[in-house]
Amino acid sequence: MKGHVFFIAIAMIMLTGCFDRIELEQQSYVIAVGIDKTEEEGQYNYTYQIANPAVGSAAVQSGPNEPPAEIVTVKGSDILGATNTANSFVSKKITLDHTKIIVISEELARSKDFLGIIQSGSRTPQIRRGVELVVSKESASDFINNNQPIMEQRPHKYYQFMLSRAKQTGIIPNATLHRFFQITEGDADLFLGIYATTMQSDQKDNGEQDQYIAGEIPQRGGSPTQFMGSAVFKEGQMIDTLTGEETRFSHILDKTMDMKDFLATMPDPVKPDFRITYDYSQKQSPQIDFTYHKNKPSTIKVEIPFQIEVIAIPSLVDYSQNRKGRQKLRKAIIQRFEEKTSAFIEQSQTQYRSDPFYWSLYARPHFKNIKAYEKADWHKKIYPNAEVSVTYKMDKLEFGKMINDSKINEVRD
Amino acid sequence: MQNQGFLQTKEIFAIVLMLVAIKAADSTPSLFAQKAQNGFWLIPIVSFVVIFPSFLLMIYLLKRFRDKNLMELIESILGKTIGKLISIIIFLFAFSTLTLDSRNYVEQIKVLYFPESPTIFIFFIFIGVSFFGAKKGIEVIGYTSWIALPIIKISFFTLIWLVLGSMVYERIFPIFGSGLPVILSEGVKKAAIFAELFFLLIAYKAAKEEAMFRKGAVVASIIAFLEIIAFYFIYITVFDYNSVEKIAFPFHDIAQYVQFGQFFTNIETLFMVFWLFAAYLKFIVFLYLIAWMFGTIFHIKNFEPLLLPLAYLVIIAGLLPFNSIYNEFVLRENLLMIMSPFFILLPFMLWFIALWKGELKR
Amino acid sequence: MRRSRMLKKESPNVSRHLNENVRTMKEQFSYGLNKDFSMRSLTIAFNQKQGRMFYYSSTVNGEQMNLHIIKPLLENEGKDITDIVSVNNIQALTDFETIKEYINSGKAVLFVDHDSQAYGMDIASFEHRNIFKAENENVIKGPQDAFTESLNANISLIRKQLHQSQLINEGIQVGERSKNEVNILYNKDLVNPDILENVRQRIKDINVDTVRNIELLEQYLEERPYSLIPTILYTEKPDKATSYLEDGFIILLMDTSAAALIVPVNFWCFFHTPEDRYLRFLYGNFSRAIRLLCFFLSSLISAIYVAVSNFHSEMIPPDLLLAITASRERVPFPLIFEVIIMEVAFELIREAGVRIPNPLGPTIGIVGALILGQAAVEANIISPIIVIIAAVSGLSSFALSEININFTIRISRFIFIFAAGFFGMLSLVGAFLLFVMYTASIKSFGVPYFSPMSPHFLSPNDTIFRKVIRREWLRPNYLKPKDLVKKRHR
Repeated sequence: MKGHVFFIAIAMIMLTGCFDRIELEQQSYVIAVGIDKTEEEGQYNYTYQIANPAVGSAAVQSGPNEPPAEIVTVKGSDILGATNTANSFVSKKITLDHTKIIVISEELARSKDFLGIIQSGSRTPQIRRGVELVVSKESASDFINNNQPIMEQRPHKYYQFMLSRAKQTGIIPNATLHRFFQITEGDADLFLGIYATTMQSDQKDNGEQDQYIAGEIPQRGGSPTQFMGSAVFKEGQMIDTLTGEETRFSHILDKTMDMKDFLATMPDPVKPDFRITYDYSQKQSPQIDFTYHKNKPSTIKVEIPFQIEVIAIPSLVDYSQNRKGRQKLRKAIIQRFEEKTSAFIEQSQTQYRSDPFYWSLYARPHFKNIKAYEKADWHKKIYPNAEVSVTYKMDKLEFGKMINDSKINEVRD
Repeated sequence: MQNQGFLQTKEIFAIVLMLVAIKAADSTPSLFAQKAQNGFWLIPIVSFVVIFPSFLLMIYLLKRFRDKNLMELIESILGKTIGKLISIIIFLFAFSTLTLDSRNYVEQIKVLYFPESPTIFIFFIFIGVSFFGAKKGIEVIGYTSWIALPIIKISFFTLIWLVLGSMVYERIFPIFGSGLPVILSEGVKKAAIFAELFFLLIAYKAAKEEAMFRKGAVVASIIAFLEIIAFYFIYITVFDYNSVEKIAFPFHDIAQYVQFGQFFTNIETLFMVFWLFAAYLKFIVFLYLIAWMFGTIFHIKNFEPLLLPLAYLVIIAGLLPFNSIYNEFVLRENLLMIMSPFFILLPFMLWFIALWKGELKR
Repeated sequence: MRRSRMLKKESPNVSRHLNENVRTMKEQFSYGLNKDFSMRSLTIAFNQKQGRMFYYSSTVNGEQMNLHIIKPLLENEGKDITDIVSVNNIQALTDFETIKEYINSGKAVLFVDHDSQAYGMDIASFEHRNIFKAENENVIKGPQDAFTESLNANISLIRKQLHQSQLINEGIQVGERSKNEVNILYNKDLVNPDILENVRQRIKDINVDTVRNIELLEQYLEERPYSLIPTILYTEKPDKATSYLEDGFIILLMDTSAAALIVPVNFWCFFHTPEDRYLRFLYGNFSRAIRLLCFFLSSLISAIYVAVSNFHSEMIPPDLLLAITASRERVPFPLIFEVIIMEVAFELIREAGVRIPNPLGPTIGIVGALILGQAAVEANIISPIIVIIAAVSGLSSFALSEININFTIRISRFIFIFAAGFFGMLSLVGAFLLFVMYTASIKSFGVPYFSPMSPHFLSPNDTIFRKVIRREWLRPNYLKPKDLVKKRHR
């Protein structure tokens, strides 16, 4: 009899569970967190995008009017406190474990308080180091509210697909919290956050692809959200934005960022009225040769191996079979890349006085201990004064699957 | 004692690895990183170089004296009174290491996975399981360690494999971190991170043959050392020095960071399971060793009933420190600093005395 | 013990007077009341003496009796009864205790006037089934025959496969009131004498009225009756039993069971089937890998589901998480309760399925599938994913066909579910670790349960996976066989 009572007691304890046990349906899963400034000092608006489990599930018929996500905004001083407050009007416990992105308004990103806020968020194990930092041109709550994807209704899917594809083409950087802390705490280099907006204010149409930042891309139809370019952070504070193309150059120059390939156009070297479309891909990381000089400017030699596949030649110039033409094209491409890269590097040296390529890594082996390294000061002394030379090395020049374009004149004849 | 001499090299190897290698995955690295910044992964090398000769000498002494475990050896060399005293000191060291470590592990579990549960509850479960495990005796501990070993190691290596892409090798530079002198002095001061190797010698007679124990223990300690270095190297290359100082539990942080493809993004619980296996086994072994020490000192042949009071004491003592940071960075650090010279010098002292007494000539 | 001594004291020796003997026999076997107890009077031809034969008409082979005993006795000339009777086994008996045993075990006993001994003649023929296909241990490739409820048939099935003079079949009487015989089979040149003596001693120490069959014997033999872990292997396949004999194991058989017991065993024995070895190396190991997976799925998947979704929901990929959450929103029970409902329901179907009369068999499938599947989900009693979990865990338990280990897993599954519900992975890992340690601490007739993996022994390493058959040239050393090395095929 004693045994039975004991058994029942144990079973009761185990069935009722304790402390950290919580049922799945008692939690709300936050997919995106937005942070905005308010008028008050030290108070911020936190916006939570909470996934609605019923939408997109085959098992349960959801009402036609149920939105795929619930979006709430609360005021608070830090993310955990705000989460707690939000529970006063969100029926279930808010869980941040599945957060995919943190959206920060540009206004907040440019203020001094930003670092403190984001650090308090990383204290909780709920926010992963893999969460991506997105800077929005408008306020974060507007961004999340306006972001209405059409095809991928479930927000986490949308962010996942959107970001991973954009990253593969190099127009947005890899901006995890992990990277943010490393670069910011390392006190060298610049961190690039993802730049995005839902406001299409001043659309530019300059013919050159990818020289946009988010909001400038001419677009008709589709979702209003644009992810393009990056926000430059120096010492935990946003200082500028980069266009998609510039972001790509950071990808090319940085071995810690992966990029698959991208399509771009350039003027035809033979007939400058036409443009050539090509596919750039980079199989190896760049070779960076850093020589440290204590009293004179250090030198950085960069060599970038790359491959080009020409996709379209509307000018119909026969590059593929003409050796001279090939040479010319090759030179033009290399020259174009080198010029643009050098200009970008120079801009970073003069304007930002630091680099978004994580090049401080290559300086580190030249020092024996951290004291010496920190004294040498990458931000202030080494990088802005360094002599950088960039060379591109083309490994391959391919012409796609068509050997030659058909002559339009002959076709029309 | 349920020992029928089934334990062989493999089991001893597994036990030693369980006891020592999990140091790679607790909060010891952040303790080191406080002082040595990104040179912290070199500290275990210094520590090992300093303490390994003492360990080998100890093993040599045990080999020469034959059929004695650590405590019996000390007593036979130093005489009854002093020997007992030294033995009791070792026991106290082991007990405080166990207590502080267990608090540390419980905090890891609590902070990362059970934030709302009270520490005492997790403590009771953790030590409770360790107690019931230890109750099964050294042989079963040996079998289980050996069976669990491949699974635990595979999971750890999977983690390494997953994190390879995030490693940036240049981060180990500047190579000496806060400077070579810091690393050397820290390495010597904290040589006691390998103190478990000495505690283990109480089980010298556990194996079928003494040679098996020696082989297992020496090989395992080298492997454990390499494993610790490998993991510390990963921590520094993944986190960089400024972050690693701030991270209390780098193993779990890495487990949180890695993802298995696009779909399985939060897989830390998977690694936590195998880490828990390793942690449980470590404390099972440790608890058993401590009871064994106590039994040997006070001539209690059948020491297994001691496990219960000892386990209870561990919980009570483990709950004493005010918070986990204090526990880790003040108490544990001090304990390591006291133990290091003791364990580096003790074998040499024993050896000299034995030599002087002429007991080694036989 | 005392009773048996008393019985022995009462039983007198065979007297020279036939009438006296006949009276004793009639008294002892309640002649007249006991309908199938028969007596036949005859006059023996060669010495013209009166003879009386006693037997149970239900247990002897009548034809054999006529042909080999009665006819020769009535007709043939000779010197001695043993010369005349042509049955294969004839024994002279002197005390009534033995005579009783003889008759009880189905033999006939002949008393002759003026003879102080009786003759026991083995013409026993208990009814039994023919040899059928194995019902519970199915194989696709391999011998299909199974043991049946006859000792002779069973031994013949074994001897058919093992043509060896070293194969010994030893009989031990067990039981005080009904003396049944346990046969111990072993290979004399291989078996470890200590283990053999241990087995013999344990059988002799069984001190109960009757041990009717091998299934009961199993429970009398084991060391830990309350343990969750079996320590004796039970099989109905002669080829499986024989393969163990070859490695130096001991087989126990009884006349009344269509199965054999194999001792000593380790964990892996329960996990293997003979088909693993009949299939080619890769195929056999593939099926073992699947079975290992089934072992973990069956014992742990429900528990892991409980632990993960109740304590570690961050681990579930978001799509799946939202799907589960959506389906759970209208379920009125906590998740662990849901899991238990389904697991219990599954066990229910299973138990009912075993007991249900054959003609009703198909019904249970329909009812079970309806209740467990659609209806329960549509009634919002459970969420659909639980059906999948319970089905997987139930299905995998069938892959471990050995009945003992099957029960072990089905019961331990519930332990793990409770542990998981208690403190998530922390307690689940703890429970599993303790379960493994408990299992490791078990010994079957002195053999550690996880040997030869740990503690390590020389062996063919036939644990989780097996080697190519031509490289298995060792016998398992945890048995300490007399001859460790097999003939080697190179």
